[in-house]
Amino acid sequence: MKKKLHRATILFLVAVVASGCGRSTPTLSPAQTGVSPEQQSADAAGFKEFSNRVDNYVKLHKSQEVLLPALKPTVSPEAINAHQRALSLKIREARPNAKLGDIFTPAAQKSFQDVIQSAMQGPRGANMDATLKQGAPLPQINVAINQPYPDGVPFTTVPPTLLQLVPKLPDEVVYRVVLHDLLLMDVKANLVVDVIPGIIP
Amino acid sequence: MPANYIHRRKFLTLICAIISVAALSSLSAQDFKFPLAQDSVRFAVIGDMGTGDAPQYQTAQKLIDSRVAFPYDFVIMLGDNIYGGSKSKDFEQKFQVPYKPLLDAGVPFYACLGNHDNPNERLYKPFNMNGESYYTYKKGNVRFFVLDSNYMDPKQLAWLDSQLKSSTPSDWKICYFHHPLYSSGRFHGPATDVRQVLEPLLIKYGVNVVFSGHEHVYERVHPQHGIYYFTEGSSGELRPNNLNKTAITDKGFDTDRTFMLVEIAGANMYFQTLSRVGAVIDSGIIPKQPAAAQ
Repeated sequence: MKKKLHRATILFLVAVVASGCGRSTPTLSPAQTGVSPEQQSADAAGFKEFSNRVDNYVKLHKSQEVLLPALKPTVSPEAINAHQRALSLKIREARPNAKLGDIFTPAAQKSFQDVIQSAMQGPRGANMDATLKQGAPLPQINVAINQPYPDGVPFTTVPPTLLQLVPKLPDEVVYRVVLHDLLLMDVKANLVVDVIPGIIP
Repeated sequence: MPANYIHRRKFLTLICAIISVAALSSLSAQDFKFPLAQDSVRFAVIGDMGTGDAPQYQTAQKLIDSRVAFPYDFVIMLGDNIYGGSKSKDFEQKFQVPYKPLLDAGVPFYACLGNHDNPNERLYKPFNMNGESYYTYKKGNVRFFVLDSNYMDPKQLAWLDSQLKSSTPSDWKICYFHHPLYSSGRFHGPATDVRQVLEPLLIKYGVNVVFSGHEHVYERVHPQHGIYYFTEGSSGELRPNNLNKTAITDKGFDTDRTFMLVEIAGANMYFQTLSRVGAVIDSGIIPKQPAAAQ
């Protein structure tokens, strides 16, 4: 009973810490993740750090986007591409020293690693693996921070049950998987914001 | 939720499935005719078409020709709308030119995103996505829910839950998105992880029909939990002989490009699947399943 109470207290703390991340509250439970409550507490802190960095990035994104004419649905693909390129350029110029781990900090990387590994080894792992392999086979592409996602290269479906376990994101950014790498992508700018290399088994 | 309620739902779903299968199998292709009823909802279905190659153009031409006998009002696109890039010439060669007569005639297209599509296609006005990667619209007594199966995050699921919940119970509910929840295709197979999060909502709110692409074949599977699933992923691309017909396959075709014509008249959905040369591949009538208790 004492152990149960202790676990409940830890889970409550995880929930409280995670709730500090605003909308970025991962749903964590030992049954889903298979990691100890202590590790979950550390993971929640890592996720919170990640969410704070994401929020800062989104502020930067918005500060650059308002400098451009607003883009409404248009019949001109060139207008869409031009807006994408212009936004991408502005963001790149606004974070010229962006590097691996700026958003996926070491603590965040550990949190993602824990959640992804235990999820992939759990009861839903086979479905997640099948989903990751379900898209068109990707060519060996080089993704780099602050660079565009290559035009014409297909996307891999990010397993929805995995998306339920990691921090939720604002509309400006999404998770993407390229082979074994997890990417944080700016959708409107088609820009790679950060990467955790080799995290997907 | 009480156990007897669940059992009753399961029983009703089973009965619906049996009735629906019987209705479908009782109709031969030769006997099939669209009713062309007044106020019916008529549309065409294309998927995985945006190659810009000759087969896409030939299939598009047959789609255009078929509008003479079957005057459909709009076209739904099941993703992979533009393969290989998102430059202006890609949109021109892979969409504007092949479907020009339809666009000129004012036939609207309603697209969903495939895994080969730049997400910013949602801003391309002729795709009618209004800047959203998932959206809903209504035609007559049919409510369409267009989803982004590349990224089925909790936010999109919550949105779908809310939209299904607030939809008119007596309306037809049709979902479409790129990755099929059920498929006998050898190359990709079913999107089981997407199915895990999505199917409970489809069942709960009584979605009637689901269209998907991705697998470059045509397949209609036996109703799953009372829901009809179509894969139409060969309106441009084709993966010949790639269908490994399984127990779930009701009808499959994998030797030429295809598209679908659909008419919803009252409580029946009439459909016909045609090949690039106009051969009838599949046809039938689906009676509307009873509305789910929400």
